[in-house]
Amino acid sequence: MTTSAVGSESTAGERRSVDELIGDLPGRSNDLAFDEPWELRAFALVVAAHEAGGYAWAEFQQELIASIREWEESADDTDASWSYYQHWVRALESVLAGRGAVDRNAVDRRTCDVLATPKNRNHHEPHYEPIAVDPARTTSIPEAP
Amino acid sequence: MSEADRTSEAIAARVKALESMLIEQGLLTTEMIDRYVDIYENEVGPQLGAKAVAKAWADPEFKERLLEDGTAACAELGIGGGQGEHMVVLEDTDEVHHAIVCTLCSCYPWPVLGLPPNWYKEPQYRSRMVRAPRQVLAEDFGYEIPETREIRVWDSSSEIRYWVLPQRPPGTEGWSEEQLAGLVTRDSMIGVAPIEAVS
Repeated sequence: MTTSAVGSESTAGERRSVDELIGDLPGRSNDLAFDEPWELRAFALVVAAHEAGGYAWAEFQQELIASIREWEESADDTDASWSYYQHWVRALESVLAGRGAVDRNAVDRRTCDVLATPKNRNHHEPHYEPIAVDPARTTSIPEAP
Repeated sequence: MSEADRTSEAIAARVKALESMLIEQGLLTTEMIDRYVDIYENEVGPQLGAKAVAKAWADPEFKERLLEDGTAACAELGIGGGQGEHMVVLEDTDEVHHAIVCTLCSCYPWPVLGLPPNWYKEPQYRSRMVRAPRQVLAEDFGYEIPETREIRVWDSSSEIRYWVLPQRPPGTEGWSEEQLAGLVTRDSMIGVAPIEAVS
């Protein structure tokens, strides 16, 4: 349970192949850090959908380039709205829409559904005390004679 | 893209929507996506929590502030946002060890600890930690807590998110905060692993 189901050797190999895949994409910083969980989720979704045969990597690449170019043409350097992985999401949607796989309006509707469902329903109350305590055995166990 | 889509919550929901639609179409499974998340999960911020722990070890006044108000003390270090609000930091001592779970979902202070590992989200971890914490720590994590030490398990919710300030290991006197931060792991801040002793 503590270790991932993926063996470390195959993980390293897989990591290398994903790193190669994303190596020549535009606009990414070298260290591939994610600021928020959704960014990693979007990243994993794009890679997994490609690996599952949803689209060729070049298709995604083209849409990513187009999305970033569009932003660059409409924004100046001081624009704080830059979000690299937001372009990943847009590019993914463009690829899927282009293939007729997922319709943008349907994504809009589903997004509204997700937003309307509270994330942690029934779990908003603070818990001020420990939920479980395993007390110390104050008297130490006497050693066997 | 509309204005509303620019908020982090909206874009996260959009990713979730896309994910669920592709799964429904049969192109993907959650497990396939999790696989790639697992490979990169350490790249979402656990080093921030390590920084806070190292500072607390090195600076007693900061430690006092951290235990008094975790959210405010972390903000001093530029840590916050996302699910980090209302953080309560639990200090490990020789008498008491702390561990965190979320019994209903997987509430988790990710700005400090990074992304939750997949096992944290499994119902088995949550329910077993509540029933038999000493046994789970020993058997699943190889972390033996002496019988003379009490174990307290804390339930994180979206209102209060807990994390653990582990004990500073002996043999680290005079270490810099950067060196100390290198010892702090995500699991030690969840309370399922000790800080490795320095030889």
